[in-house]
Amino acid sequence: MIILKNIKKSYFIGERELSILKGINLRIHKGEFVILMGVSGSGKTTLMNIMGLLDTKTYGEFYFMDTRVEDLNDEALAGFRNRHIGFVFQQFFLLPYLNAIENVLIPIVYSDKEIRHPREKARQLLERFNLADRTHNRPAQLSGGEQQRVAIARALINDPDLILADEPTGALDSKTGGEIMELFRMLNEDGKTVLVVTHDPKLASYGKRLIRIEDGTISEDITT
Amino acid sequence: MGLYQKISQLREFLEETLKILYYYKSRVAFSFSGVALGILSICVIITTIDGANKKAYEIFEALGPDSIIIFGGSERQRTARERLVTLTVSDADMLEKVGGVYDVLRVFSLRNVNMKYKDRKWQTQVAGGTENYFYSFKWGLQSGSFFSNEAYRDAEAECVIGAKVYEELFKGEKAIGRVILIGRLPTKVVGVLNERGGSAGGPSMDDRVVMPLTTVTKRLANEKRFLSVIRLKTNRDVDATIEDVKMVIRKNHGIPEGGEDNFTTRSSKDILQFVSVISGSLFLFLGTASIIALVVSGFVLANLFYLTIQERKKDIGIRRAYGATRKGILMSFLFESVIITIMGGIAGVLLSVALQGLFERLFGIPMEFSFKVVFFAMIFSLLTGVLSGLKPAMKASKIEPIEAIRG
Repeated sequence: MIILKNIKKSYFIGERELSILKGINLRIHKGEFVILMGVSGSGKTTLMNIMGLLDTKTYGEFYFMDTRVEDLNDEALAGFRNRHIGFVFQQFFLLPYLNAIENVLIPIVYSDKEIRHPREKARQLLERFNLADRTHNRPAQLSGGEQQRVAIARALINDPDLILADEPTGALDSKTGGEIMELFRMLNEDGKTVLVVTHDPKLASYGKRLIRIEDGTISEDITT
Repeated sequence: MGLYQKISQLREFLEETLKILYYYKSRVAFSFSGVALGILSICVIITTIDGANKKAYEIFEALGPDSIIIFGGSERQRTARERLVTLTVSDADMLEKVGGVYDVLRVFSLRNVNMKYKDRKWQTQVAGGTENYFYSFKWGLQSGSFFSNEAYRDAEAECVIGAKVYEELFKGEKAIGRVILIGRLPTKVVGVLNERGGSAGGPSMDDRVVMPLTTVTKRLANEKRFLSVIRLKTNRDVDATIEDVKMVIRKNHGIPEGGEDNFTTRSSKDILQFVSVISGSLFLFLGTASIIALVVSGFVLANLFYLTIQERKKDIGIRRAYGATRKGILMSFLFESVIITIMGGIAGVLLSVALQGLFERLFGIPMEFSFKVVFFAMIFSLLTGVLSGLKPAMKASKIEPIEAIRG
């Protein structure tokens, strides 16, 4: 599903080159549940953003669903993200002026997939995540755990192949965080490819594969 | 992708846009009211100019394109408030012999004459006219009859009253056959004229009493020599006739070569010209006002959008992550801006309809609503929306998803 060959990423601060990723080689296959672990500043989020087609590499080869990513223009990239990826962020990023069900429907507006009765599907997803009585609440009326579950429902509405979660439990207490991780495990068992980025060693046990990033390189890659 | 889905997407998009506008409602209200005011002025301009033109055409039609009006005093004398009554009965007699002239109406008017019926009082002008007065004006009656030739010959105390005078003195009661006091002369009302409305910008034509010229000059004014107004109809070219008329009167008044006229001539053409001057100044005044209102509200809109873009960076990032293209972001911001201005435009049009009465009293010109008004209002609203939304929308579309999410 994802092939990274010698991926490098650096930023320029004035004259000084700041190297974030220093040659990443990685393959992620369909159906995997990957935990990408590293301390803050290790480059794990940058790597996730590149794999999520949100950021661009400086050097190397990157294939996403057998397509060379650097051949894609803005429109094609947006289409790829819409069709294949569901994002979950640490800060949830729900839109404040929309209620739960409308937030879940956001990807539908930009979608060219054939999805009949999207509202019904959104409601079913929310029900599945125990939010049946929260469908018409605004984000401000929801707890952190509820907001994150709405965000996960949003990531799923368009039937993506890959779920990319950046510190999804970072803003939650450990019990709620555990529930969210269980949810990812459940989705993985349903066949979704899941990639969770975290700095929290306690989450390592949820995944089937653990990749450790240190200082811009992969230091450990264990499949359990 | 099916049509069903397209429609459902469009619905979600529209609903989202409305929710965004509602969420930022205080900001939206500023731009909205600015655009509404601007469009209101544009509507007033268009309808008033149309109304003025229609009115002018009506007057032109009523006067007849072949009419020439002559009254005493030159333009300069009128502004200097010098003696204005210079036209004489002998002028009128001479003018009957001018080539092409087929109708000569002589009028001697008195201003601010007191009249009374029962305990109701009114003050207005009395026009003493020859028998052809109503024919010349193409003026019909709503009841009664014109004064008779006998009444004219014998200077009888008979009058025909305008609609306004009828309203003030009789208030809907029967007027025909009743006697009113004009000055100190008891006068029988024989007819009530049709309502005619105001002449362009001038006083209402309905506020007058018409009597036989003989009665006015012999019994009200004791005037044997002078006339206030002479109206002619010609079957020759109007301008050519005016040349002849001027020559005849100047000779009759003994004005030397190069001397200043002590009278003024007007034709229907002048009235049309006068109206076009009025609508021109209206256009200038209101046009400036409306353009300023639209430009200011456009700037306000653009600035508020800039502010919201900073605040909505995460919003943009999320949409980009979930598949919105640059173009998609651009369009959605532009759409928001256009929705605001179009709604403002609609409010402006509705406001102009609601305030029609007020404006008509203010400018003294009836407003003429048509499809054209709505069309221009929408074009201007759309233009304001696109022009003021374009730059902020372009800025929003250039934000990279990663940059937006990082905050």
